Amino acid sequence: MIAFTIEMALVATALLLVPGTLVAWLLARREWRGKTLVETFVMLPLVMPPVATGLILLQLFGRRGVIGSRLGFDVIFTWRAVVLAMTVMAFPLFVRTARVAFEHVTRRYEEIARTLGATEGRVFFTITLPLASRGIVAGAVIAFARALGEFGATILVAGNIPDQTSTIAVSIYSLVQLGEDHAAMSLLGVSVAISFAAILASELLMRKA
Amino acid sequence: MRLVFDDVRLALPEFELNASFDVETNALGIFGPSGAGKTTLLEIVAGLRKPDRGRILLDGVEITSLRARVRRIGYVPQDETLFPHMSVRGNVTYGVGQTFLSGQTRMSGPHWIDDLIDRSVAKLSGGERRRVALARAMMTNPRLLLLDELLAGLDDARKRQLIDLLPRPLIFVSHERDEIAALCEHVVSIDRGQCSPPASLPHTSFSLASRPQLNR
Amino acid sequence: MLAIILTLQVHAAASLTDAMRDIGAAFQRATGIAVSFNFAGSSTIARQIESGAPGDVFISADEAQMNRVQPFIIGSTRRDIVSNELVIVGERDLMKAKRIALADPRAVPAGVYARLYLERIGLWRRLEKKVIPTENVRAALAAVKAGNADAAIVYRTDDPNGVVIKDGPPIAYPAAVLRDSKSRAAAMRFVEFLRGKEARAIFTKYGFIAK
Repeated sequence: MIAFTIEMALVATALLLVPGTLVAWLLARREWRGKTLVETFVMLPLVMPPVATGLILLQLFGRRGVIGSRLGFDVIFTWRAVVLAMTVMAFPLFVRTARVAFEHVTRRYEEIARTLGATEGRVFFTITLPLASRGIVAGAVIAFARALGEFGATILVAGNIPDQTSTIAVSIYSLVQLGEDHAAMSLLGVSVAISFAAILASELLMRKA
Repeated sequence: MRLVFDDVRLALPEFELNASFDVETNALGIFGPSGAGKTTLLEIVAGLRKPDRGRILLDGVEITSLRARVRRIGYVPQDETLFPHMSVRGNVTYGVGQTFLSGQTRMSGPHWIDDLIDRSVAKLSGGERRRVALARAMMTNPRLLLLDELLAGLDDARKRQLIDLLPRPLIFVSHERDEIAALCEHVVSIDRGQCSPPASLPHTSFSLASRPQLNR
Repeated sequence: MLAIILTLQVHAAASLTDAMRDIGAAFQRATGIAVSFNFAGSSTIARQIESGAPGDVFISADEAQMNRVQPFIIGSTRRDIVSNELVIVGERDLMKAKRIALADPRAVPAGVYARLYLERIGLWRRLEKKVIPTENVRAALAAVKAGNADAAIVYRTDDPNGVVIKDGPPIAYPAAVLRDSKSRAAAMRFVEFLRGKEARAIFTKYGFIAK
């Protein structure tokens, strides 16, 4: 179950990297009508109660949901729901950190690259991204830590099915409910240790930038 | 080259930049106090800023809407502008590195950069950084070179070294009269965004005849 | 309409939600004592009581959860209130269902009853991997209604249209006054009211079995 949680968190982090980087870059470097709307929408899972986000996901991805009914496979109550909840909840955290990283890249460097004939794509991959990489990695680490600890949305969309969708956070809750405090505390210790290591790594990375 | 600024206006925080002039020259100086709008003028020529109104023509061709990437105008901005995450070689060859992802090639740049080509960017002196930035801009064979305070803060020997490397045509921005006089054939003065008509300068101590010409 | 004298805090199993609201209103009309409810899975409530949650009365959906909080109740006030039956909703043939939603069979009474039944008829081993445990019995029903589970075992009171399990385990809802209650007398009055004629009629209306 611990390995499962870590695996799912890694998958979730991997999934949000490309779209998250793209969104972060757009928010950092581009202006457009309705940008504020996009910003708000992206940040929603961060400020809404996780169970509320979970409820929305349940509606969308349930067998009868707008998205769920069109997929060929089940999402709710499977490992996919775990990844889904983790990805959605960690996404805004990643975008926020990556956006700051992009905003801190000196625009002058990008401008010079343009005068030297680089296309926008080349500017992004050879100048912007490398210079923002430390912050982006820090964001990924934070996202991973958030995914690991995800509970509110997870319990709604994935439930707590032993050996199938049981994560560390959900298991702690369940053990507490059953009155097995000792086991719950042990698991809590594991959870704190992993999160602590992740946050520490992220802080160190950001500080060097 | 012939550079035309036709009723160019750009609103800036403190004042409006207002430039209209027509000059045929090999070396144009832009002279004025700091904050006057000199750098902005250069950015407009480079294609890094769009004016609110007006047109810019270079050698008879309107370049107002052209993106910086296709203008073939080299730019050496003020201060530290070498890419910090690349080596000297990477910086110098960036403009001619054809691969999509990499900034580096096996080429080495002009001969006068050989002593620096394998050094790391972080350990260069002020004069050396300017030399690298100059090499970087010249490597792409631009048809015009823009220099923003290239000589500021350097001692006379370094200044002379850099001046010897400069090709034509160029636009040279400075708040030092002497530098403008030494280098330029014409000068436009700018103060709080207002440009004076171009004045021609008498040639002084430096012989301009032997200066290399850029590919047009 | 009498003015409210005081308010009782009653923790009750989720399956009692609808009936209890009516009974609470009736009790207030009769005595002027208002009732505030906390509905949740009985094991969740037991956990809260163990942690010191305040309250006056606990009505559990099985004996096990009431036994769990024995040190926190006034033993002499413990009474059995009503009974219930199990039903299957959704796909009737559980062997055909891909996913069966049950209130957590480890602790929530409805799920425990369901597991006991399935164990007794020898199907638990085969069906166990298809089980989706939910936090309470209403959540199990919701899962089937939403289409995310194919079948569920819930109380007849949760879904009267379900197929009744005729030989299910005996279901009892014990109630008791909590030891830390600040209004013991009023709380006891409420427990007695639950066994009275008016409450029994309401329970029966909602499908419970009130003797």
